[in-house]
Amino acid sequence: MNWIQVLLITAVVTLLVYLVRSRGNAKTKAWVKVGYLLFVIAAVYAILRPDDTTVVANWVGVDRGTDLLFYALVIAFVFTTLSTYLRFKELELRYARLARAMALEGARTPEH
Amino acid sequence: MGFSPRRRLNPPPNCVYLKDIDPSSVWIIVPAFNEAQVIGDVVADLRSVFAHVVCVDDGSSDDTADIAWRSGAHVVSHPVNLGQGAAIQTGVVYARQQPGAAVFATFDADGQHRLKDLVAMLDRLSRGDVDIVIGTRFAGTTLSATPALKGLILRAAARLSPSSRQLGLTDAHNGLRVFGKEVAENLDLTMNGMSHAGEFIALINAHRWRVAEEPVEILYTDYSVAKGQPLLNGVNIAFDGFLRGRMRR
Repeated sequence: MNWIQVLLITAVVTLLVYLVRSRGNAKTKAWVKVGYLLFVIAAVYAILRPDDTTVVANWVGVDRGTDLLFYALVIAFVFTTLSTYLRFKELELRYARLARAMALEGARTPEH
Repeated sequence: MGFSPRRRLNPPPNCVYLKDIDPSSVWIIVPAFNEAQVIGDVVADLRSVFAHVVCVDDGSSDDTADIAWRSGAHVVSHPVNLGQGAAIQTGVVYARQQPGAAVFATFDADGQHRLKDLVAMLDRLSRGDVDIVIGTRFAGTTLSATPALKGLILRAAARLSPSSRQLGLTDAHNGLRVFGKEVAENLDLTMNGMSHAGEFIALINAHRWRVAEEPVEILYTDYSVAKGQPLLNGVNIAFDGFLRGRMRR
């Protein structure tokens, strides 16, 4: 086994442990965890047998497994970016509502 | 800080009058962010005709809130800067819970609107066949010197937005709006920044509110141009509009 394989597997498993232990609302988080578990299995497999990704790549008309992973990464990145953007917008809205409630509490009426 | 020397931004009030609306039922909502230079005049002009002006100070770092209050406005201050959309929503929430409030208007704080146009729009609303009246600088009858590129982009925005097109609106981003209780009670702007104008139109469409446009002049003073949003912000607005539907309320 190469050193890089050891490092990558350690990283992936550490992320898994971190994710499983993090708290959140049950249902949606559960699916994320299941998805992540599948991802970890696939990742460890790909790390141990990198040539197999090339076989999968060839099935879908891509020459190298590396390229296939790269495309997948780009798509995952765009997806993450958009979902983060929406998450931020939602937070911003809650924050605005909080600030609004405070502002309305402290409203000043004119004297004249 | 004292008042700056009075500079009339609007024609004197004696040339404007309301026909069928009781002025004491009207609430004018003025969102303001760092407008200390002009807010005093804007509020005083509005107060010469209307009893109720609410200035929403959007977390200004200058004296906007105090000056507006001393000029006779109700003042609601955001503890932090949230954006114009949030300020308008706050103003509407404040105004709609006031006893006797029946008619609402939004009016920009930078002095780009004319009192005369506001009154004309109130008269238009009082005819009773629409729920909301929106100002347009592109009616063909106005003389507003809209900078060419800005005009082009604003018109394109109105034409490209499905809601604007469906409703036949020509100016998607005019700050002057007049509306009744129905609209005020159901208004729920979630776009905090400048994308609220498009969201407003989308809400009109979704709630099937009856809408009319009224020609207005925009006074492009040096001050209002400097305070206005850069054209590039149009990119942000278009992007927000595209993603608006994806967000939970």
